[in-house]
Amino acid sequence: MHKGVNGWFDDVRSFRLASVVAVFIVLAGFVIQYLAGGQGVPAFVWPWNFLFLVVFAVLLFLLGITCRHRAPVVWLGGIPLGLSLIFALAFLSLLGGVIPQDVAVTGDLLDRFGLRRIFSSWPFLLIVLLFLCNLGLSVVWKTIPFRLSNLQFMLFHGGFWIALACGLAGASDLQRLVLPVYEGSASSQAYVSQEKRTQQLPFSVYLDDFSIEEYSPQIVLYDPAHDRVIPGKIKGASDVGKGFRSEWPGLSITVLEYLPHALPSKDGTPLAADAKRGIAYAKVRISAGGYSAERWLNTGSPSIKPEVVQLDHLFLAMFPGSPKDFRSDVVLRNNSGGSRPAVLQVNKPVAFEGWKLYQMGYDEQAGRWSELSLIEAVRDPWLPAVYCGFFMIMAGNALFFWKGMKKGEAL
Amino acid sequence: MTLADFPAIAFAVMAAWALGTLLSIPARRIELLRYPAYGIMIAGTLLLGWFIAAYWVVLERPPLRTLGETRLWYAALIPVVGFLVEYRWKIAWLKYYCMGLAAFFLGINLAHPEVFDKALMPALQSVWFIPHVVVYLVGYVLLAASSAAAWHNIIMGFRSRQEPLGYSIAHYLALLGFVLLTFGLVFGALWAKEAWGHYWTWDPKETWAFISWMAYLGYMHLSANHTDRSRLQWYLAVSFLVLLVCWFGVNYLPSAQNSVHSYQSS
Repeated sequence: MHKGVNGWFDDVRSFRLASVVAVFIVLAGFVIQYLAGGQGVPAFVWPWNFLFLVVFAVLLFLLGITCRHRAPVVWLGGIPLGLSLIFALAFLSLLGGVIPQDVAVTGDLLDRFGLRRIFSSWPFLLIVLLFLCNLGLSVVWKTIPFRLSNLQFMLFHGGFWIALACGLAGASDLQRLVLPVYEGSASSQAYVSQEKRTQQLPFSVYLDDFSIEEYSPQIVLYDPAHDRVIPGKIKGASDVGKGFRSEWPGLSITVLEYLPHALPSKDGTPLAADAKRGIAYAKVRISAGGYSAERWLNTGSPSIKPEVVQLDHLFLAMFPGSPKDFRSDVVLRNNSGGSRPAVLQVNKPVAFEGWKLYQMGYDEQAGRWSELSLIEAVRDPWLPAVYCGFFMIMAGNALFFWKGMKKGEAL
Repeated sequence: MTLADFPAIAFAVMAAWALGTLLSIPARRIELLRYPAYGIMIAGTLLLGWFIAAYWVVLERPPLRTLGETRLWYAALIPVVGFLVEYRWKIAWLKYYCMGLAAFFLGINLAHPEVFDKALMPALQSVWFIPHVVVYLVGYVLLAASSAAAWHNIIMGFRSRQEPLGYSIAHYLALLGFVLLTFGLVFGALWAKEAWGHYWTWDPKETWAFISWMAYLGYMHLSANHTDRSRLQWYLAVSFLVLLVCWFGVNYLPSAQNSVHSYQSS
C-alpha cells in the first residue's frame, strides 16, 4: 500500500484527517442545502450529465496516473478516506432510513435541511462525489499496470463506480409516467407522477380487456362492532371448496356445495356462470350448540348483494380472495401506424419504441370489475451502463467468494 | 402439517437442542455420550426441516414470504452452519450460540403467531423471488453465525483467552455473508426493475439493505487495512444489529409507511 509515504500520512493521522473531512463535507452540505432554501441539487440532463461524467472520469484518470505518488492524492484514493466516506454514506442513508422520504413538503426545518429528500440533497451528493473520486483513483491504481491478480478488485470496485456514477448522473434522464386506460379506448396522454402535469407519449395504448384472477375466497366471522375479521381454525384442505371445514369456539361450518363462478337465478339459487361475470357461492352447514342450519353465502359484486349469515352480533361472510394475477390485453400503436398486440402483467413488462410498459394497477375500489388499467411507461437511457456495473459487481463478487473459500480452506 | 402443530414442533426442537447441549457437558469426559449428544441436537434440526417441508406442501408455495416463515428457515439453518463449522474446522462452541439464536427466532414465532395465508401477491410471483430471498436468507444466516462467533471472541477476550481460530471463523463467516448480501442486493435491484419499473427507489427496506451492506463493506475495508482484530469483533457483533433492523425492524419505523416490502401485514 501507499500509506506512510512521507511520515505525514501515517495511518492514524490519515484516518483523523479523513474523518474530519467527511464530517466537514456533511456539515457543509447541510449548510448549502439550508442556504439554498431546501432546494435539492440542480440536475443536469442529457447531454450535460454525460459530458460532466466523461470530464470527471478523464480528470480522475489523469490525476491517478500523473500524481500517484503525491501524498494528498494517495490520501484521496486511500482506504482511510474510503472508510470515512462509507460511514458518512451509511450515516446519511440512516437518516433517510428513519425519516419518511418523499412526503408532502411543509417547509419546516426538516425540509430546509433536505432531510425528506436526503438522497438528492447536497450533503449526500457531495459525499458521493468524493466517494467516486476515492473509488475511481483506487480502480486506476489497481488497473494500471494491469495484473490478472487484481481482476476481482477491478470488477467489484469498477462496477460499483459505474453503477453509482451512471445511476446518479442518469437519474435526471429517467422518465416514469402513468398512463390510465379504460377498456375499449386508447390513450397516449400520460401523467408525470408527483409533478401533476401530463405528457404525450410517442405511441398509444388501446385496452382490449383488463382481467383479475383471484385466490380462493375466505370464509370468516366478521365483528362489525370492532370492524375486525376473525379467521377460523381450518381443518384439512385450506382452499374453500366442497368439504371445507372451519371452526370457531362454539361454532363450526362445513361447505356442502361450492360454485366458483355463479349468478343467482330468479328464485335466488345460484346457477353456474362464466368466469368473467360469475361470483363465488358456497352452501354451508352451520353447527353451533347442538343446532345446525344450511345457508348460501356469496362474495357479492357491484350488482349482487353479498349473502351473509348473522350469528348474534357477528356475521359469517365469504370474502373474495386477494388478487393472484392481473393483466391487460392491449394493442400498442406507434406514430407511424405500426401496431402490435401485447399482454401486460406484473413482473412481465413489455418493451415498445424504447419504452418499457408495466402493469401498474387498476381501480381497487371496483376490484375484479375494474375497467381501468394503470400502466406505467418507463424510459431509462442509462440502464445499460448501470447494468454493466451490476454485472461487473456480480462477477467480482463471485471471484471474491472463490478466493475467500480458497483462503478458508487453509484455515 | 399446519401452523396449529407449530408450537408442539417448536418446543420439541428446542428441547432436543437443550438436551443435546446438556449431554455435551458430561460428553467431554465420557466418550460414549458424544454421539447421542450430537444425534439429539441434529434430530432437533431435522425435525424443524421436516416441518418446513410439510408446511411447504400444505401451502403449495415455498414458505418464504412472511417474516414468520423466513424465521423458520433461519432457525433451521443457523445451527446447520454451527454443525458444518465444527465438522470442517473442529470448532465446537459455535453451534451452541447458533442453537441459542435459532431458539430465539422460534421464540419470536411462538410469541407472535402471524396470520399465514396462501396468497402470494402478483409482484412476488417472479423468477427472482426464490434466488433473491434464498441468497439473503443464507447471507443473514452466515452473518448471524459470524456475530455469534464475534460475541464468543469478545467474551473469551475478557477472560484473556484469545483464540486466533475464533477470529478466523468470525472473519470468514462475515466474508461469505457479505458476498451473499451483495448478490441479494443486486438480484433485488434486477427484480425491482422488472416488477416496479426501476432498479433502485430508496424504498425503506432498500435503504436499510444498503446501510447493512455499507456496514459490512466497512468491515471488509477495516479488515483489509489490518485493524486490530480484537476490536473488529465488536464491530462484527454490532453490525448484525443493523441487519436485524433491516430484516424486521424496518416495519416499525416511521419511514416504512409505503414500503413495497411490508407485505406481511395484509
